[in-house]
Amino acid sequence: MSIIIIGAGEVGYHLAQRLSQEKKDVVVIDRDVEKIRRVQNTLDVQAIHGSGGSLSILREAGISEASMVIAVTNSDEVNMISCLVAGVQDRVPKKIARVRDPEYSALFPLFDKEHLDIDLVINPDHEVVDMILNLMEVPGAVDVADFADGKVRMVGIPLLSDSPMVGKTLAEISVLYPKSGILIVAVQKGDRVFIPKGPDVIRANDLLFMVMARDKMQEALESSGHRRPPIKRVMILGGSLIGLELAKGLEKRGVQVKIIEQNEDRCQEIAEKCDRALVLRGDATYQDLLLEENVAGMDTFIAVTEDEETNVMISLLAKKIGVRRVMTLVNKVGYSPLVHSIGVDVVVSSRLAAVNKIMQFLRRGKILSVSSLPEENAEAFEAVAMETSDIVGRPLREIEFPKDAIVGAIVRGSEVIIPNGSTVIQPGDRVMIFALTSAIKEVEKALMVKLEYW
Amino acid sequence: MSPSTILNLLGYINLFLAGSMFFPLLVNWIYGEPHARGFLLSIVVTALSGLSMILAFKRSTRDLSHRDGFAIVAFGWISATLFGGLPYLFTGTFDSLVDACFEAASGFTTTGSTVMTDVEKNSYGVLFWRGLTQWLGGMGIILLSMAFLPFLGVGGMQLYKAEVPGPTADKLTPRISHTARVLWQVYILISAVQVFVLLLGGMNLFDSICHTFTTMATGGFSTKNTSIEHYRSPFIEYAIVFFMFVAGANFSLHYQFLKGNFRALWQDPEFRFYSGVVLVSTLFITINLLPGLSGDVLKSFRLALFQVVSIQTTTGYSSADFEKWPAFSQYVLLALMFIGGCAGSTGGAIKCIRIYVLIKEAARELYRLVHPHAVAPVKLAGKVLSQDTLNGIRALFFLYIGIFLLASLAVSLLGADIITSVSAVATTLGNTGPGLGEVGPLDNFAHLPAASKWILTTCMLFGRLEIYTLLVLLFPEFWRK
Repeated sequence: MSIIIIGAGEVGYHLAQRLSQEKKDVVVIDRDVEKIRRVQNTLDVQAIHGSGGSLSILREAGISEASMVIAVTNSDEVNMISCLVAGVQDRVPKKIARVRDPEYSALFPLFDKEHLDIDLVINPDHEVVDMILNLMEVPGAVDVADFADGKVRMVGIPLLSDSPMVGKTLAEISVLYPKSGILIVAVQKGDRVFIPKGPDVIRANDLLFMVMARDKMQEALESSGHRRPPIKRVMILGGSLIGLELAKGLEKRGVQVKIIEQNEDRCQEIAEKCDRALVLRGDATYQDLLLEENVAGMDTFIAVTEDEETNVMISLLAKKIGVRRVMTLVNKVGYSPLVHSIGVDVVVSSRLAAVNKIMQFLRRGKILSVSSLPEENAEAFEAVAMETSDIVGRPLREIEFPKDAIVGAIVRGSEVIIPNGSTVIQPGDRVMIFALTSAIKEVEKALMVKLEYW
Repeated sequence: MSPSTILNLLGYINLFLAGSMFFPLLVNWIYGEPHARGFLLSIVVTALSGLSMILAFKRSTRDLSHRDGFAIVAFGWISATLFGGLPYLFTGTFDSLVDACFEAASGFTTTGSTVMTDVEKNSYGVLFWRGLTQWLGGMGIILLSMAFLPFLGVGGMQLYKAEVPGPTADKLTPRISHTARVLWQVYILISAVQVFVLLLGGMNLFDSICHTFTTMATGGFSTKNTSIEHYRSPFIEYAIVFFMFVAGANFSLHYQFLKGNFRALWQDPEFRFYSGVVLVSTLFITINLLPGLSGDVLKSFRLALFQVVSIQTTTGYSSADFEKWPAFSQYVLLALMFIGGCAGSTGGAIKCIRIYVLIKEAARELYRLVHPHAVAPVKLAGKVLSQDTLNGIRALFFLYIGIFLLASLAVSLLGADIITSVSAVATTLGNTGPGLGEVGPLDNFAHLPAASKWILTTCMLFGRLEIYTLLVLLFPEFWRK
């Protein structure tokens, strides 16, 4: 049962990487010889040179035995055709297509079971907009992810130096905030991510990954000293699709938006589609524009032009002028570790957002964005506790759990439980587990939980 | 490059090697022979060296680079040559290191040249080890370890490329360890069939197994001094011809065939070229032999077919002393030593696909002289060959011929006559086995000076690893940080 990935661009490549690391049989198809060569040389997958819309190539890739087709080429049409062929010709059970052109979004109803039968339509631009909007909801956060249909939220947030948690061990913290409803599932110090234990000391600037019930998020963050003033003023650089969607989304949330775009016609279009956003035409590489529009008074500056080098440079410029927080769109995954170290607060990538979304669909989990976890990967995912599992029916502290994994939250019916040592998991509970990638296999084995794949 | 990763993995390869030495020990025990101590000592030395390498050197978590891949495969084969020679030394089969290494290299590289003056006086255990080295080397000792070492992952591809013969290395299945397992399964399956067929032909079990080992690997070690001629059985000869031919064809085609894709075999241009060369050469030699055999067409055909397939697949069995044949027939066989089997087979030499592509390319150059503006890419089975592939093929051809010339010059300098030095190098570089002159099918290599044996041993490794993998180690740039 193999997985066929069509298109070996950033999205396809990273999906193939993730899936092959989990010992899945992956076949990658691309028309570009260079990309195929890269895949062949660096991943343990089968790489086929050719068009994903071609029946003979799909046959060569073994489509009749495939369990899933993921079409993520640059061409929406090829992606749809590939899924169509996969479904009609060979009844591949799951099909995922990347469709970017907003013109096609009106067609989405046609993608249902009766018609085109595409299980997941993914638009990287939308994903990254959603991701940025989510991040805005938790000021200061560099990573936000929702689980259990949005009931549970995980937030990655750097610890401020004036926080009462600084310098305390985890055990002390749990005494300090007994009812906060927050569980620290992971800590990133520099490039290292680990799952903290009682005696571990938390320091300023550590990145904390915390799990909480979503509807109690504000209180939870407040009670543990993570509360920061809400974002009221935002400046967006770049009026592409992402910029526009972002402006509209922020407007709806009552945020004051300024958006800078160079192209005159595009400015007109944005002005038409937005209500209150201030549309500025100009080149942000000249400092005057930024100064004139008082970038220093902004809560957040978001650079989302199509040119990632420009995004980084102008973000740094804005930071220099005095904006509190900058978010930058960088699609090349290779750059992201660098970008952090030179002072950009949050790096987002539409490619990674798309990868995340697809992985989430595959196993209802989430990979923490690579940008926030440079060297080692960690993952949070959901699983259903079965009656036969060792984790059921005993308090958590009595369970022999793999070292690099932790239960972050339990969802029982509509109730969210943030567990402590005496929590008992019952059969049928949805369990959110956080684990370093290296421990995932172990978790699967040790706990006998059924990881949910498609 | 990460030396500690390389040494760590080489340790595992040594462990595999030590494990494989239990089989001759078992044979030794079955036949109640006195060599148990020799084999046990070899196992202990090899296993201890492997274990100490694994314990002393840590494997880094990073994936293997191209360079790591080359280094592991090249040193893996060199160490197999050294440690694989231990059983010969410790059982007293040979008393010099060079002879033991020559025989071990000839085994693992599936060459089949021997320095044993009298094969039949050796114990069963030693003969079994000779056969087993060929069988393991045929599909590849590194490929075998890949099938069992789960942690190689991506790095496996680097090793696969460095060890599997042919201009391009394609994976049969998405995961490399699975591909390695599939290839070994096909190999074992066909081998089992051959043992059965040889038993039917009246060969005893021990000889059947040993000959299967050396047929499927296109190795050519026989347990008899006169090789297959010993049995005087047309059935056995034809059976072995069939299995040699199968072993000289691409194993991924066999995999397709077993999966029910019968057409893949005939649609493959290399396979057709390979069959064509066999047929045409057989025809020529049959006609050439007729006068000497007083017009016996069937016998002439049988002898010609056996020898052509044996030499072209680089097996190296003989069913007749072909040194008594007319010069033309001998020359055809010498030429076949350069062509060899197919890519992805257990055969050696330059490989049919390269010769075929070079012919096509030469034809294209002629075509372009006539039509200077023509755009005429070189195609294979309807697919355009990339410039990289073509460059690789041309360079390999040049290096092959270059090494052949240098090595045969050196061997002649050390005292061999022209025919002997040319054919000895051609046959070891092509992993064939017997040569002409003083190293003909009924002779052996024992009388050559030690220096010549070292040169020929190196030629065998060059041939098996298709030059690049070994030669790149001698390239200063390779070692530069």
